[in-house]
Amino acid sequence: MSIYLLPVLILLVFVYAKIKKVNVYNSFTNGAKQSLGVVVNIFPFLVTIMIMVQLIRISGLASLLAKAISPAFNLIGIPQELCELVILKPFSGNGSLAILNDIYSTYGVDSYIGRCASVIVGSCDTVFYVTTLYLSNTKVKKLFYAVPVALLATLLGTILSCLLCRIM
Amino acid sequence: MSKIWFWCIVFSICVILYINPEILLPSMLEASENTLKLCLSLCAIYSVWLGILQVMEDSGINKKLSKILSPVTKKIFGNLDDATNELICMNISCNILGMGGAATPLGMRAMQRLDDGSGKANRAMMMLIIFASTSMQILPTTVIGLRITAGSTSPSDIMLPTIIAAVFTTVIGIVIAMLIEKIKERTSNKK
Repeated sequence: MSIYLLPVLILLVFVYAKIKKVNVYNSFTNGAKQSLGVVVNIFPFLVTIMIMVQLIRISGLASLLAKAISPAFNLIGIPQELCELVILKPFSGNGSLAILNDIYSTYGVDSYIGRCASVIVGSCDTVFYVTTLYLSNTKVKKLFYAVPVALLATLLGTILSCLLCRIM
Repeated sequence: MSKIWFWCIVFSICVILYINPEILLPSMLEASENTLKLCLSLCAIYSVWLGILQVMEDSGINKKLSKILSPVTKKIFGNLDDATNELICMNISCNILGMGGAATPLGMRAMQRLDDGSGKANRAMMMLIIFASTSMQILPTTVIGLRITAGSTSPSDIMLPTIIAAVFTTVIGIVIAMLIEKIKERTSNKK
C-alpha cells in the first residue's frame, strides 16, 4: 500500500496544478533552482558538526561515554547494547544508521535488541543536526531551552521504545 | 551549541593524541569528504522536492493545507503571518509523511522568516526546532529498508511501536516547551 502513497501524491500535485492553469514546467525549474543555494549555505555548518562526530567516534570517547552511563541507562530500561546508538543518534543520522547496521549483524535483526534499535532510529530525528541545519540561515546564537527539551523528549521516547518492544 | 562542539572537539583531540596522533588529520578530512558527498546527495534530493513544492505553492495547495492545520499551529507557534504559517504547515506535513528531505528546506525558509535579527531564538523558532528534531514520522521507510536488506523475517514489525514512540516524543517535547513558556510568563508577571 505505502509504496503507492508518494507517487500518487506527486501525480495529484502535478495534475491539480495543471487544472489550476499553472505552468508546471516553469514552476518546477524555479523551485529546483534554489537547491544549490540551500546546499552551499548548509555545507560549512554540516562539515563542522560531522568532524566533531567523526572525532568523538574514532577517539573512542563515544563508546567510553556509552560504558560510563550504561548503568544509568539500564536503570531506566535501555539495554546497554544500545547505549552508543542512543548517544550518537542526536548528532548524526548517517552515523546512527551505520551503528544500526552493526547492531543488526551482531545481535540479529529480529532479536529484541535489533527491533528496539529500529524503533529508536525510526521514531526521532537527529537533534543537533536538525538544529544546525534549520538555523544555518539565521543570526540566532541564543537558543535557551530548545535543545535540552528536544533531547529530553528524545530520551523519554527512547525509554518508551524499549518498553514497547518488550510488550509488542 | 558552540560550547558543546568546542569541548567535544578538544577532548577528542586529546584522546587521539594519546592513542594515535597520526589518524587525526586523515579522519578530519574523511569527515569533510563524507559531508561533501552528503551535500551532493542532499542537493539532488532538494532539487526534486523544492521543484515539487514550488508547483504546490503556485497551484495554491499550500494555502489549503495551512488552512486545515492552522488551528493547531496557532496553539503551538502563536500568531504568525500567512507565508510563515504556510511554510510551517508544509514542513509538518512533510515530516509526518517521512519526507525529511523535503521538510528541511521548508524549515530553513520558515526559520529565516521568523528570525528577528536579535540573535535570540523566539518562542516559535524553538517550537519549530523541537518539532522538527523529534520528527513525527508515520512511515519509517529508511529503517524498514535496512531491515529488509539485513534479512529480517518481518521487516515492518516495528511500524506500530515506531509510530507510537514518534508521536509520544513530539507531543512530550511540545508539552514540556509549553510548560516552560507558561512558567516564564508567570515569573515575568510577578516582576
